[in-house]
Amino acid sequence: MLESLLEFAIQGVVLGGLYALFAVGLSLIFGVLDVINIAHGEFFALGGYLAFAGIVLLRWPAGAGVVAAAIGTGLLGLAVHPLLLGPLRRRLGRRPAGPLYLVLTLGLSTFLQSTLLLAAGGEYLRVPPHVRGVLDLGVTAVAYQRLLVLGAAVLALAALFAFLAHHRQGLAIRAVAQNPDAAQAMGIPLGRVHTLTVALGVGLAGLGGALMAPLFNVYPAVGFPLTIKAFAIVIVGGMGNLAGALLASFVVSLAEAFSVMAIPSEWQNLIAFVVMIAVLLLRPQGLLGRAVVR
Amino acid sequence: MRARLPRAAGWTALAALGLLPALLPHPFVLTLATQAAIWALLAASWDLLSGYTGQISFGHAGFFAVGAYAAAAATKHAGLSPWLGLPFGAAVAGGLGILAGFPALRLRGHYLALVTLGLAEIIRLVAQNWLELTGGPFGIHDFASYPGLPAGPLALRRARYVVTLGVAAAAVVAMAVVCTRTAAGRAFRAIREDDVLAASLGVNTTAYKLLAFGLSAAFGGLAGTLYAYDVQLVSPSVASAATTSLVIGMAVFGGLGTIWGPALGALLLFAVGEALRFAGVVYNLIAVGLVIMVFVIFLPRGLAGLARGR
Repeated sequence: MLESLLEFAIQGVVLGGLYALFAVGLSLIFGVLDVINIAHGEFFALGGYLAFAGIVLLRWPAGAGVVAAAIGTGLLGLAVHPLLLGPLRRRLGRRPAGPLYLVLTLGLSTFLQSTLLLAAGGEYLRVPPHVRGVLDLGVTAVAYQRLLVLGAAVLALAALFAFLAHHRQGLAIRAVAQNPDAAQAMGIPLGRVHTLTVALGVGLAGLGGALMAPLFNVYPAVGFPLTIKAFAIVIVGGMGNLAGALLASFVVSLAEAFSVMAIPSEWQNLIAFVVMIAVLLLRPQGLLGRAVVR
Repeated sequence: MRARLPRAAGWTALAALGLLPALLPHPFVLTLATQAAIWALLAASWDLLSGYTGQISFGHAGFFAVGAYAAAAATKHAGLSPWLGLPFGAAVAGGLGILAGFPALRLRGHYLALVTLGLAEIIRLVAQNWLELTGGPFGIHDFASYPGLPAGPLALRRARYVVTLGVAAAAVVAMAVVCTRTAAGRAFRAIREDDVLAASLGVNTTAYKLLAFGLSAAFGGLAGTLYAYDVQLVSPSVASAATTSLVIGMAVFGGLGTIWGPALGALLLFAVGEALRFAGVVYNLIAVGLVIMVFVIFLPRGLAGLARGR
């Protein structure tokens, strides 16, 4: 009994690290740009593909491959705002956007997924584990690969929070998230901050994709189930609230991990959505969000 | 008066496309045309809720799937005649739509879109995992289609096309009539523009929002039943987000908030997609993604907007 509990707990925590990488990036983009990036999962997939290219095709060491994949995804993410979000924002001016941003990122998602399919084919690409071996904890064992995912996620998120708290650009990002007009009045260039934010957000997703490539395999649609689940997590945590996204990631992942004790495992994926709907009906601002009049 | 001309042109274009297979009675063309009619109905039903009433739903594939599964299961397990299966599937989907409308009353914008996305995903997961009810990943197959149709392969195809087109066309016209000529339609427009103001002016926004959800879901479910009886196989993939994505793309292409626009957009986009399919299967989805992005940025009112000179 203890072994299974511990095993579920470890599984839950490792998965939570992955969810957190994904959800925090998504929440960051929402908090700063007020845009929900439906294409987030495709950047996750892209990270996997870049890792495959680096590690398998170019035979780089695993660490270099993962870092390069994350950076590569972030660089590509730099293009999203100037090409797509920016022009729409300029076009809309002060008019309410309605569904248009959502539809735009939906189009981007469709476009990216099919382009990946076209460019790389639909087969599941295999990436060898970045680290091999298993940590023996007596009662149970954990693959080092899974610990690596968790460790890298924690490091990356810590770096992000430090950046946002202390670095000039990070402070600019938080200023824009708090009050874009005031930030602009202070001389902060909105467009550049938006561009950087999107790149950071999707870069985190790409890092997640590169880290998970040995575990999930790499194919164009690998990111989409995560995207939908990440929406649920972000809502549970409070939209735009990074700490909330972090907390909710682990709440959901642990709930999923322990749920196998009560329900058949195919129904695991439902948990995130059921929790999301419950949160929306009972506490719409999420776990850590501030109550908003809507 | 200015709006009359593009609207009339739109309806004429729809009618012309509907008659097209009479000129090209090839079974392949008829099969495609049948599917196109189903997509047109689905896109128009999405538009009623999201474009016309402003309640953004990203879960329309769920209602499509519920209609399809309900009809297929009823015909297969309870022997319900497909002619009755059509309204049955629509009714089940419509009921679910009203239920889905309740949480939606409190939500707007992003939240509404994400909740509806989540609901569709729940439906898809249920379809995939509840073996006894839905056949699991293999879905429901081996059920009868419309009885009383001519038997020869081409004649049967043509008859099925006529049935599907007739039902879809009648449904789209019915939606358009509800939206443009009834008090409900005026309420929908008021809700879209500013639902708080509408409520303060005495419009029963609760009732009308639920009605919009119910109607949109019922007609989306009707499209699902048409699909079920045409393809005679219903699997969890009909509830996928790709379905919703295509529908939204078609609606944006045609013009949100017009009912006829998305129907026309669906027919055209479907035709373009199938034509591109000859060049390679994947290009049509890339084109859909591009179309969505380009139209949202540069032509947010879609083809209908172009027709009105915007």
